[in-house]
Amino acid sequence: MKFFGLLDLLLFGCFILLIHGITESAASSPLKDPLLGVSPEDENYFKGFSTSSMIKCKDGSKKFNKSQLNDDFCDCSDGSDEPGTSACPNGKFYCKNAGHSPLILYSSRVNDGICDCCDGSDEYDGKTKCLNTCWEAGKTARDKLKKKIATYVEGVTLRRQEIEKAKLAIAKEEGELSKLKDEEKILKPLVEKLKERKEQIEKVEEEERLRIEKEENKKKEAEEAEKKETKAEDIEHAHDDIQDNIGTVDQPPQDENIGEDTESLSREELGRRIASRWTGEKTDQHEEVDASSPDKDHQNTDELSNETNYDEEDNAYTSEEDEHKFDDDDDDDSKDQVDDFGTDDHYNPTPSQKLDSDDESDFSDISGTSGSSWLEKIQKTVKTMLDAVKLFQTPVNISDAAHVRKEYDESSAKLSKIQSRISSLTKKLNQDLGPEKEFYSFYGQCFETKQNKYVYKVCPFKQATQVEGYSTTRLGSWEKFEDSYRVMQFLNGDKCWNGPDRSMKVKLRCGLKNELTDVDEPSRCEYMALLATPALCVDSRLKELQDKLDSLNKQLPQLHDEL
Amino acid sequence: MGKLPCALLFFLLFTNPAFSWKKEEFRNCDQTPFCKRARSRQPGACPLTATDVSISGGDLVAKLVAKETNQETPTKPLVLKISAYQDGVMRLKIDEDPDLNPRKKRFEVPDVIVPEFSDKKLWLQSLKEEEEENSGLISVVYLSDGYEGVIRHDPFEVFVRERGENGKKVLSLNSNGLFDFEQIKDKKDENEDWEEKFRTHTDSRPYGPQSISFDVSFYGADFVYGIPEHATSLALKPTSGSGVEASEPYRLFNLDVFEYIHDSPFGLYGSIPFMISHGKSRGSSGFFWLNAAEMQIDVFNGNNSNEFLKLPSDQKRIDTLWMSEAGVVDAFFFVGPAPKDVVRQYTSVTGPTALPQLFSIAYHQCRWNYRDEEDVYNVDSKFDEHDIPYDVLWLDIEHTDGKKYFTWDKMLFPNPEEMQNKLAAKGRRMVTIVDPHIKRDDSYFIHEEASKKGYYVKDKTGNDFDGWCWPGSSSYLDMVDPKIRSWWGEKFSCKNYVGSTPSLYIWNDMNEPSVFNGPEVTMPRDALHYGDVEHRELHNAYGYYFHMATAEGLAKRGKGQDRPFVLSRAFFPGSQRYGAVWTGDNTAEWEHLRVSVPMILTLGLTGMSFSGADVGGFFGNPDTELLIRWYQLGAFYPFFRGHAHHDTKRREPWLFGERNTELMREAIHVRYMLLPYFYTLFREANSSGTPVARPLWMEFPSDEKTFSNDEAFMVGNSLLVQGIYTQGAKHAEVYLPGDQPWYDFKNGNSYKGGETYKLDVLEDSVPSFIRGGTIYLERTDFDVALLKWQMILTLWL
Repeated sequence: MKFFGLLDLLLFGCFILLIHGITESAASSPLKDPLLGVSPEDENYFKGFSTSSMIKCKDGSKKFNKSQLNDDFCDCSDGSDEPGTSACPNGKFYCKNAGHSPLILYSSRVNDGICDCCDGSDEYDGKTKCLNTCWEAGKTARDKLKKKIATYVEGVTLRRQEIEKAKLAIAKEEGELSKLKDEEKILKPLVEKLKERKEQIEKVEEEERLRIEKEENKKKEAEEAEKKETKAEDIEHAHDDIQDNIGTVDQPPQDENIGEDTESLSREELGRRIASRWTGEKTDQHEEVDASSPDKDHQNTDELSNETNYDEEDNAYTSEEDEHKFDDDDDDDSKDQVDDFGTDDHYNPTPSQKLDSDDESDFSDISGTSGSSWLEKIQKTVKTMLDAVKLFQTPVNISDAAHVRKEYDESSAKLSKIQSRISSLTKKLNQDLGPEKEFYSFYGQCFETKQNKYVYKVCPFKQATQVEGYSTTRLGSWEKFEDSYRVMQFLNGDKCWNGPDRSMKVKLRCGLKNELTDVDEPSRCEYMALLATPALCVDSRLKELQDKLDSLNKQLPQLHDEL
Repeated sequence: MGKLPCALLFFLLFTNPAFSWKKEEFRNCDQTPFCKRARSRQPGACPLTATDVSISGGDLVAKLVAKETNQETPTKPLVLKISAYQDGVMRLKIDEDPDLNPRKKRFEVPDVIVPEFSDKKLWLQSLKEEEEENSGLISVVYLSDGYEGVIRHDPFEVFVRERGENGKKVLSLNSNGLFDFEQIKDKKDENEDWEEKFRTHTDSRPYGPQSISFDVSFYGADFVYGIPEHATSLALKPTSGSGVEASEPYRLFNLDVFEYIHDSPFGLYGSIPFMISHGKSRGSSGFFWLNAAEMQIDVFNGNNSNEFLKLPSDQKRIDTLWMSEAGVVDAFFFVGPAPKDVVRQYTSVTGPTALPQLFSIAYHQCRWNYRDEEDVYNVDSKFDEHDIPYDVLWLDIEHTDGKKYFTWDKMLFPNPEEMQNKLAAKGRRMVTIVDPHIKRDDSYFIHEEASKKGYYVKDKTGNDFDGWCWPGSSSYLDMVDPKIRSWWGEKFSCKNYVGSTPSLYIWNDMNEPSVFNGPEVTMPRDALHYGDVEHRELHNAYGYYFHMATAEGLAKRGKGQDRPFVLSRAFFPGSQRYGAVWTGDNTAEWEHLRVSVPMILTLGLTGMSFSGADVGGFFGNPDTELLIRWYQLGAFYPFFRGHAHHDTKRREPWLFGERNTELMREAIHVRYMLLPYFYTLFREANSSGTPVARPLWMEFPSDEKTFSNDEAFMVGNSLLVQGIYTQGAKHAEVYLPGDQPWYDFKNGNSYKGGETYKLDVLEDSVPSFIRGGTIYLERTDFDVALLKWQMILTLWL
């Protein structure tokens, strides 16, 4: 742009001397092909010369004649008069690259000594010899494209299957959900009634107990009075002690000074401390602690990490609490399955393990086909029981009371199971699983890849982590799909020292199986990864690729002509 | 009970060690005994008179003795020598008398003055004595056709004055009687403690106090400039005197300062004790003290404040106080009178800027760190993809195997030669970092050899000094020894530096030297160098010798056919002969963009033409507008490199959306367009010392409005650049000096000189103007700097 400003000066009347192309004479030699560097779309534009001696620059700013075309002097500020030279800074050069794909270059690449076009047409000043490599390059490109198309063809099918599966599964889950909701509606009042009855019984029992106790107490009252006084004092003392202890625990000694007081540091610590300003690494002072009491500290570290895990779950995953409770409740019935579940969730390296199937099998006892019958049974039992047990009977019939309690415990457990299942199903069905639910199978899955010393674990709809040995760093919690479902975003991971919270973007691309690769940290604490998945093998893209291949193949016969 | 240590551990993990500049970690003048002593001296306190003034060996020689009245502490006489050199350079040396067997020879900095300088010496034949009414007996020697050197006998004073009747003073030393020279004592006085403590560090000071201080006056000066490196204004603000807010003196002590602040007299990475004055009435003069110990310099308020002697002169002047911890007086007076004359005279002593290779004045892309080969290839190809030219890609410390320089991290850079060759095939170069701290690792070949050969700096007990830096426990090569420099230079041969190719150049960082666990993050002053020189005596030159050794190594590698490129952070007078410097770890803030200009201009004035600041700011994340403005201004820095700390977000020019990519591309294109012009200017700097980036007053010495302007500057004599230093600026005030017309660099609009214009600020450029009547060069096509030299030459007549 600037350059033309100077030319303007010339017109403004300053006395300006222009010396053009001083160093290399080759630069101003006329081109063999006056239309070098012209793209097919522009051929019509230059046909303007057949009807008139001057044509306008594309931006309309000026006119130029045929001898100014590709004369290695920039006349049009938009570069339209120099398609084949590097004279205009913002010009574009078109190379045909017969046998391969055409390429449009910045004009700065023309005659710059580097072969940019595979047909070598960008280097014509004779200083650099470029071989025509379009045939090989084109063949490689076509082969690559063919391979990609093959992947897509298969991938598109896989994707359709996934979508079908997802639809079925979702329908099933929706059905289950509505059924569970119905059951909840019936079971809830039953449990309440049982609870009421249970409390009534307990109340009567309590009254009975108090009465007996009172009688016994009266006998002892006199002698006990004195003792009680002394005891109370003891308790108070004990209380004080406990408080003292708590006080000590709460205040680490000299904590105020440790951070900044470099005076007390050893030379080595001081060095590390200063270095850490630039590097942001934690100072190694805690290693010092490690060294002095390895056992204790190991324990501490464990405790610390446990605590952190706990915190994390508390803070970030409260929404999942239901699920966890559910697991706990299951403990008695199906220990094995619970164990499996735990393994899946946290350690199992095979990424395609399905968590939901476990959920479902856990549920077989209540959500199976016999579901309605057990409900009816309960209804009946409760009714009989409520009718049978007489109130205000003192003392309460022990076996009746036990019966009510047992029945209450069982049905309230069932109710809470149903409720947590409802909540987890609702949560799942409310997720954005993709426009065609093609990401349904991602739910509850984790994908892993090992890179150097780290294992990266991406759990869609949940979180992404980086694991090194026993330590886990959270790279982010599930945020959303981005970029028309081509990117998964995880935000608000563990904080970086002196930097942002960690975050991760997972780019999705078509592949035949779910596979996580290429984890990268382009900026500190901002992670990127690639996930190949059939979910991205979209029909429309397949069509584009096939069209591209067709157009490449169409060029081939021409190539043979030229050869 | 596991809870308590656990809480402690938690605390340690989450205590951030620092957030910004830690003032208290560095000594101020009051905590520096020699500075405190010198600052508290009263004018006229100097008891010395010049005796035995005579001509000997082509020099004026004399003895400085204390007046008889001051008999309590008899001091030995000092020897003084005044020499004259061509082009109006006077040299003054004052030292202890070697014939009196002083306990220690005081350190004189070797290898700074270029050998050619001695050829310019004038053989003084005679002196004339004059008796003046006010000043008593003076001895006068010839200096040049217009100037003479003068020594007044009692009280002793040295000055340069114009020849002729009532010759006006130009520069003088000890006019205020503040001269003091602490001679090295044979032993401690009773009850005297030579040790100095600062924080946890103790300086044993085995030779006791040995500082030197004196006042220097610049006549006809409106402002003084120079004495880098400080992040402060171009025209040096007074640090003392009536009506001046109490301030620290300007400190010259090379330090690795974490997150330095932008307006402070605090000493940074390099030191050049060269001050240049300028005034409307007379022009410029300069004063240079060749001394590598810690120095502190006060600039007094120009209004001849009452605490100073009333000098018998009606001339306007600026007084300064120079204080150094050790060494000798080896001072140079430059008569000017034009600013360019002073710089030429200074570079006749310390040498001109080496002519850089073309690629090195193009755009450099750096980051701590480009992680691995893939990252390098990716960044490289993105430049092509976005049509942004660049010439050099840099690798910071993480490319090494455990911060052992000359090695590669095998995981990240398995094929470094192939990588360099691939870039070289596109005409591009690479730079790797090589720092002076050597990891104390027995399996590291450099350490093994250096410790065996005794090539390390020693601690006060004579063992290899062991300090903490990037690799952990480290030792530091003693580059003051020419033999060690030559050994070091050999390490850069392609054979010795495994994985290097001829297209690889070098970056010297941390060469102040930075010692993380040392006093003020540097080496203890009682550490010992080659020739039993204490570190205190040469501290400021340590980085210079390291830079020199590296540059000479690259020259050797190229068999003299390939001019070296070495970037250094620390510098000293003469560093300009060995490569480029940059302003260190700046911050991504507008004020740091602003202060980069006076910092670079000051470097240029003091010989360091090839300098720049990290574009974008090293620490922190610049917002997009700041980054773009920085590119637009940085394109006019003599050294143009984008760099960033590893905690910052990636900021390569294409990461901020299409429009912003376009803006940064355009800024870099401007630089490539101007490369022939820049290269021509570097040749000028190489032959005459005139800097590439110049203060306006250097081109317009009689235009007072330019004297304290450090927001705009000249690139050569043709191009004026005004930075934009605020967010969302809509207008900028630009003063276009002189009486010739100016033409807008962007659109050719013309402006009359000598006026201030309020201009609309454009998004796509910072205001820049071509000066009518000057010659200026540009080219229009570029990819990398060297590929083509097809250009258009435009002449304004």
